[in-house]
Amino acid sequence: MEPREDRRGGVSEARFESLLDTAADGIIVIDEAGRMLVFNKICEDLFGYTTEEVIGQSVNMIMPPEFATAHDEFMSNYHRTGEKRIIGIGREVSGRHRDGTVIPLELSIGEAKTSEGRQYIGVLRDLRPRRAVESRVSQLQAQVVHMTRLSAMDEMGAAMAHELNQPLTALLLYLQALARQIKVCHAEEKAPSEKLLGVLDKSVLEAERASHIVQRMRQMVEKRDPERSTIDLREVVNEALDLSEFVAQGATVTIRRVFGMNPIWVDADATQIQQIMLNLMRNALEVAKESEERWVKVSIGSDERSAVVSVTDSGTGFSEDVGKSLFKTFSTTKKSGMGLGLAISRAIAQNHGGDLLADPGGNGQGATFTLVLPMRRSMPAES
Amino acid sequence: MFFIVEDDPAVADALESLLAGAGFSVRVFASAEDMIQQGAPSSEDTMIVDLGLPGMSGGELVRRLEKAGQNPKVIAISGKSSRTIARETEGLSHLKILRKPPSADWLEAITA
Repeated sequence: MEPREDRRGGVSEARFESLLDTAADGIIVIDEAGRMLVFNKICEDLFGYTTEEVIGQSVNMIMPPEFATAHDEFMSNYHRTGEKRIIGIGREVSGRHRDGTVIPLELSIGEAKTSEGRQYIGVLRDLRPRRAVESRVSQLQAQVVHMTRLSAMDEMGAAMAHELNQPLTALLLYLQALARQIKVCHAEEKAPSEKLLGVLDKSVLEAERASHIVQRMRQMVEKRDPERSTIDLREVVNEALDLSEFVAQGATVTIRRVFGMNPIWVDADATQIQQIMLNLMRNALEVAKESEERWVKVSIGSDERSAVVSVTDSGTGFSEDVGKSLFKTFSTTKKSGMGLGLAISRAIAQNHGGDLLADPGGNGQGATFTLVLPMRRSMPAES
Repeated sequence: MFFIVEDDPAVADALESLLAGAGFSVRVFASAEDMIQQGAPSSEDTMIVDLGLPGMSGGELVRRLEKAGQNPKVIAISGKSSRTIARETEGLSHLKILRKPPSADWLEAITA
């Protein structure tokens, strides 16, 4: 503490001390040579050293070695060129606790010219609590996404079971027929006929039909990390619409597809985009089913910057109040909980640098949901 | 004579293979309406009907035949839950139900 007390004194020193100790952030002041002049209470907790231990010591002692070397270079570079790399900007850096733990820090630095030369004031914030919250949030988000996918699967489950039943039934009956006829052949000491081979071929086809259904189902349910790739939005949306149509089988709602001729390239996770589409389609089909005209229109367009997918139904739209709470996590106009789906869909869209917008419609107009995604900057090489 | 009323062509074809292979004569219809149009079964015949037909359901078809005094032996097939089957066959007493996918030999079950 000696050097500081030399320079300051009386009332202002006391005020300065109390300011330092009540600050919620760590505060460190260093001189031109990198020696620490001020080290407040928060820093003591953060780094595990007492103020007495560090005053006059090089600031490198609270940095991981690789940062310490870089720091020396930064400082001498700044003194030589005046080029600011961090002063007035702030950035994320790593600090090191006495016990060796590396601490992610947000650091902003100010500069003061004093009679004893330049001094630098660093304000540090421990990023670990924020990191923990962020990782918890993204964990929860992944879980919720997985859950909605599962709940969509639940609805699909019935449709799937029905679909699987048919090929399995046909397959088993073909096999029963084959078994009987082969027994007859044996009894009569005849070779199996061409016709039997035909039945065998047909049973293979039915087994394949069943496995295709399982594959499609698996693609939907598997939880995995977002996988961005360059995709043609038309193809991905088209597939999702096929799936919606399949789930809504029996419902006599027409799905109108208004797609252009040219591919629309976006960088996105195809499965997540399809999940948004399935969600929007589920809601739109539900509304359209109760309407007079019974259609859902899906159009895809783009300009230089964004790609846009709009889903409009033949319903009567919704009120302003409903519109306001539409994206709230647990709001819903029906029991199946479409609010959750929309909130997640919007989160996914925003994760992609896009958004999900709602136009409530009304006055005979159905609601429109619009998914906006940033266009890919350059075209992928044609393969 | 066996009347098969089933909208899934593969299931209908497989049933036909099974019955025809055992030497029975079989007629196949894709819907209840088709069967009514092309001649209904008599009490000598066996009708194998899918309960979940598009248009007129299997249950309705059986009720209609009963009303018209045509009483073939009826075997209903369905891939739905037992509760749904119970609802769809309410009031129909003499019919045998086979659930998809088959868990036993259907030829024996049908001809028993």
